[in-house]
Amino acid sequence: MTPSKRLSQEEQRSLVQRLRARDERALGELYDLLAPWVLGLAFKILEDEAEAEEVVGDVFVQVWRHIDQHDARRGPLVPWILSIARNRARDARRRRRRWWRKGERFEQARVAEGGAAGPAPPPDEAGVPGWPVHRAVHAALATLPEEQRRAVLLAYFEGLTHSEIARRLDQPLGTVKTRLRSAHAKLAETLAHLSDWMT
Amino acid sequence: MTGWLGMAAAPRAPRAELKARVLARTLAARRRPWGLLVAAVLALALGGGAFWARRTIDALRLERDRLAAQAAALQDTVTGFIRGPATRLIQVPVSTGGRVGAVTIFADTARHRWLVRCDGLAVNAPDQAYQLWFITRDGTRSAALMPMDADQPMVMALEMPREGGPVMGAEMSIEPRAGSTEPRGPTVFKLLL
Repeated sequence: MTPSKRLSQEEQRSLVQRLRARDERALGELYDLLAPWVLGLAFKILEDEAEAEEVVGDVFVQVWRHIDQHDARRGPLVPWILSIARNRARDARRRRRRWWRKGERFEQARVAEGGAAGPAPPPDEAGVPGWPVHRAVHAALATLPEEQRRAVLLAYFEGLTHSEIARRLDQPLGTVKTRLRSAHAKLAETLAHLSDWMT
Repeated sequence: MTGWLGMAAAPRAPRAELKARVLARTLAARRRPWGLLVAAVLALALGGGAFWARRTIDALRLERDRLAAQAAALQDTVTGFIRGPATRLIQVPVSTGGRVGAVTIFADTARHRWLVRCDGLAVNAPDQAYQLWFITRDGTRSAALMPMDADQPMVMALEMPREGGPVMGAEMSIEPRAGSTEPRGPTVFKLLL
């Protein structure tokens, strides 16, 4: 795994500027920093290594093409890239469901990888850039009540709509909406300190 | 702030070869628009060139057909003049600028047309031209103005005048380049039929 690296705000700004200036080395540095997280997120949604790797490729192509569209005033770079990864992975999963309804490959991948939840990160992954953020997000999720956390995770990782979550949890739609609203407000407050931070 | 939720997923170490693959694909994607642009420009140029060539070929083919039809018509005219039973042949030796040449007239009295061929005429001064005249009962009438800028034979078909009575002869003189209303310059030849 890549050794830990922490970027100062100045280095982060510089990285974005270099990406905008089409500095190919900056793209390599961005990959080193974020590829494990993009791959991890894509794998969590897709549970298929090959498809997750395709998503990684899609994400970096999109970031490279549209880096000018990232507005730092609306949020840091990493969440922007993660949202691209999430959307790409969800698109890939929809395509897979459409074309491969039997789900054989999906199940094989689940077995091969040891289950849908994915393996626990090995101890040395604490050295991955961004690990403190990973811990902070988990800590923030842990502060949520169980029903809110489940609703948030179903919405984010499985891309379920409010109605689908309501059916899955066998809860009224209004209750789900309220739980999600409360959860998002609490997460925003808990994770606010990550706004200008990138590791 | 849900943007950070993606970090809740456990990181995965990418395979070593993935980086090269992703970077190659990403950078190729950046270059592709230029490639597409160049390809589009080339295709446009080729298409435009093909269109231009097609139009030129069509235009040249039309011009060739037009000239061929014109040549055939002239050949018919010449043949009609030469072989017509009512055609009279008049040959006039001329001397211009110290050169000896000839003016040959095929006079078709049935169709009232002349075919005139000039050989060996001296090249005109830039402000002069040869002018051919019909001599009629009522006087001379201009038949043709012939600026001679190159040393080569000249052939022309002329309609005989319908007014002024019958054509009684022909005259050629050297006139200003714009022509004259009556012969005023040096006479090349004057002939009564």
